[in-house]
Amino acid sequence: MAGNKKINKRDIGKLLNEWNQGFTVFVPSREDKVTAFAKWDGVNISFMEWHRNTVIPPKTNFFPLMEEMFSFREEEDGYHTELPSSDKHKQLIFGIRPCDAKALSILDMAFKEGYEDPYYLSGRKDSLLVALGCTNPYDSCFCASLGGGPFDSTYVDIMLIDIGDELLIEEVTNAGRELIARTAGLEKVTEVDEARAKEVKKSSYNKVTRKINTEGIQKKLQACFEDKDFWEKVSAKCLSCGICTFLCPTCYCFDINDDSFKKQGARFRSWDSCAFPIYTRMPMENPRSEKWRRVRQRVCHKYEFFPTDFDVIACVGCGRCIRQCPVNWDITEILNNLPAKA
Amino acid sequence: MINVDVSQRRKFFAHGNVYLPHVVTIEKIVEETYDTKTFYFNFKDKRLREEFTFEPGQFALFSIFGMGEAPFAISSSPTRRDHLECSVRQIGRLTNAMHRLGVGAEMGFRGPYGNGFKLDLFEGKNVIFVAGGIGLSALRSLIWDVIDNREKYGRMDIIYGARSPADLCFKYDLDTWETNEAINMITTVDRGDENWTGRVGFVPQVLEQVAPEPNDAVAVVCGPPIMIRFTFPVLEKLGFSPEQMVTTLEKRMKCGIGKCGRCNIGNLYVCRDGPVFTYAQIKNFISGEY
Amino acid sequence: MEQKLRQEAKALLEQDKVDYIIGYEKGSLKFTTTPLITKDKNDVDRLVVNPLIVNNLSVFLTEIRGRIGIVAKGCDSRSIISLIQDNKVSREDVVIIGVPCSGIIDLCKVERLVGEERDELDDVTREGDKVAIVVDGRRREFPIEEVLFDNCLGCKFPTPQEYDVLLGEATSPVSEMTASRARIAELEGMSSQERWNFWKGEFNRCIRCYACRNVCPACFCERCFVEETEPQWVSPIPKWQDNLMFQVTRNIHVAGRCTDCGECERACPMNIPLRSMARKMYETVEELFHYEAGLDKAAPSLLTAYESVEAEDLIR
Repeated sequence: MAGNKKINKRDIGKLLNEWNQGFTVFVPSREDKVTAFAKWDGVNISFMEWHRNTVIPPKTNFFPLMEEMFSFREEEDGYHTELPSSDKHKQLIFGIRPCDAKALSILDMAFKEGYEDPYYLSGRKDSLLVALGCTNPYDSCFCASLGGGPFDSTYVDIMLIDIGDELLIEEVTNAGRELIARTAGLEKVTEVDEARAKEVKKSSYNKVTRKINTEGIQKKLQACFEDKDFWEKVSAKCLSCGICTFLCPTCYCFDINDDSFKKQGARFRSWDSCAFPIYTRMPMENPRSEKWRRVRQRVCHKYEFFPTDFDVIACVGCGRCIRQCPVNWDITEILNNLPAKA
Repeated sequence: MINVDVSQRRKFFAHGNVYLPHVVTIEKIVEETYDTKTFYFNFKDKRLREEFTFEPGQFALFSIFGMGEAPFAISSSPTRRDHLECSVRQIGRLTNAMHRLGVGAEMGFRGPYGNGFKLDLFEGKNVIFVAGGIGLSALRSLIWDVIDNREKYGRMDIIYGARSPADLCFKYDLDTWETNEAINMITTVDRGDENWTGRVGFVPQVLEQVAPEPNDAVAVVCGPPIMIRFTFPVLEKLGFSPEQMVTTLEKRMKCGIGKCGRCNIGNLYVCRDGPVFTYAQIKNFISGEY
Repeated sequence: MEQKLRQEAKALLEQDKVDYIIGYEKGSLKFTTTPLITKDKNDVDRLVVNPLIVNNLSVFLTEIRGRIGIVAKGCDSRSIISLIQDNKVSREDVVIIGVPCSGIIDLCKVERLVGEERDELDDVTREGDKVAIVVDGRRREFPIEEVLFDNCLGCKFPTPQEYDVLLGEATSPVSEMTASRARIAELEGMSSQERWNFWKGEFNRCIRCYACRNVCPACFCERCFVEETEPQWVSPIPKWQDNLMFQVTRNIHVAGRCTDCGECERACPMNIPLRSMARKMYETVEELFHYEAGLDKAAPSLLTAYESVEAEDLIR
């Protein structure tokens, strides 16, 4: 593709420094004992030596673990509320993987439809995604089965392809193009580079060995919705903790709670999980007090209900749920073994 | 795709943020029963007091700052707008806190949310209201709207029941409706007490006895989940089709706008696509999800 | 041991001595095992016994009703006995298939040792007191102590204390306690301000997934204190203060019933060293009350039983 550039991996620091002028740059980080995206410290580029995705998905940049919605205080003339400053500096997420970028587009749909969510959208607007394609997918990855792939550039602004000592830079959107146009220190790409990039993409795609069959999955799930025996069997070992939902890049359920002391406080939103028994608890009844209903809800929301509203499966195949689950509950096993109804 | 038109509701946002509540002041408190109160309240903001409108069946999220929020139906009639009402049963942390509030206290209010009752569905038809306990508060705004526009509707039956005479809500309304000749008012209790001389029987059973005709009729049902679950089969038996049965559902809610994920029945969110549903919309999920 | 296990499990189901078999089967990821919960005797051929059977399966006993044939390692069997002491499980309702354990391999330690992620490893096998790790065809050996879970090092009761069937010869502890509590010793050596700062830093990462609680067999309350709203003991908002409060209170609640199985720390996705806190509580209970959970099914549960003549040396 004419106009593509490349950069040597050694020079990534210079590149990020330049981009740091106009954006707050986030990179994969191991600083806090668990891999996640964190503000670049200006120096460390050791993340270039990793080959894998982070444990905590970059949804935290736009939908953080907890977020203040507004504050309130009681004064003599009654209550006053105040919104937090909406000064969300433009974010550049460097090294995001294609699956997580697709996940952000799914979150965009959820937070935009109907009433717009101001907290998520104010951060997301003007954000830039510079993706690093995956040359070394985990054996838990199954992005290829969901219309994506380790080098799927549909939802990113710039795609970086690791061709050895260098990264080939593919401009995808106008925003990406503009950024590259005003970035110095990039080299021109040769035909050999382009051939190598093509090879890397193909071999990486073939490394995604875990597969699910999504054909007709909505109908299949509708058909077995009432099959209590099936759902009880597949949910038996689930512990109803929140790991799969919290680490899932497309999960966006949240809780709203107040925190106050004396006459002032704030309302926060924080991550919640449909796997928790109290998620749907009302004073007199709880429609999902039984675990099999909650497991069914999780699977059906991602593969049946969300697609009904938005025409896309709310799962990107990142595999975090499979890797991090304490009992190795595996959604791909469930989806590949749905009961066949006559 | 989703069929929610929120464009005209944006004018009721505080500072353009859908999650920020307005401050309202409690003007009057009516003790309906030993555990239920109706709060009459009004916006502190003058402009809102004049401009705020809602459709019967819509709900709002009421805040006690520092405690949290909960959804309650706006139970006053949209045609009588000098104040707003909501009825609250004391049953948990937030409602206990609400019951401790006095006249003059302030709450947060954001809304109206939900789809409300589509009045064109009811016009020209016989309307049968079937309510249980505090479920009447969700139908009350519709009942008054129908009464205030009586000529647009056919027969009007109200079948209302509670656990005991002490649990009957809106007794002043029940008396008014009893004396209104254009309404067939039937009150029942699950168990009577020494003074009760009226009907005794569960609401679904009484409905079966009264046996309203399904032709040109719409049934509107609201009450505890168990009552609703037993009422639908009775209506089916009486010949009502699933499209003729309307209900308003209640679920645990937090955001009220279809984002936090918890109030869903299948792909329908009770806060966004409901709380008013026809039985036809929810019957595939009825077992267990509701 | 696997053959014997499969035979036993099949017999138990065929003779209708149990309703369920709970054991381990091969997981869907490399070097992983996963719980197998089944009523079907044809599933028992999937049961495995190997140095990767990490889960404490007794957590399912308070959830699944019926007679259960359960595979239990040393620590697991103590959890079962602790549940029996708590009257949550009836001895007659469980058939304990004991696995004499020589320690479970911690894949995170393996990864750190060879500097490769588990997906790159060809093989990980235990050979006596060594572990053989094969990467890219190259085989390397290490002493087994370097790859076992912390709580396996110095485990005093590797052979199940109570069982109906024992799948092999009784085993003895792998090593003594020092290696097992290296991190705790480090924490004990800190000043209280340093320790406070340490835990504040750790709990800043906590996301309140409640995996630590849900994976713990001793946490069987139907309504956990964090779910209580009147009063609200701990805020659901995951601020570090409330996260720390949650974990400390949880440790107090399971004191005297925790058997140091280490599942809480293993399950934590944020790598918070929860076992350091749990083990310290375990040792405090041992020190104050001369008691370790899950050793004697007839003994009253420590903190829920009272006798008029009690040890009072804890009152100072």
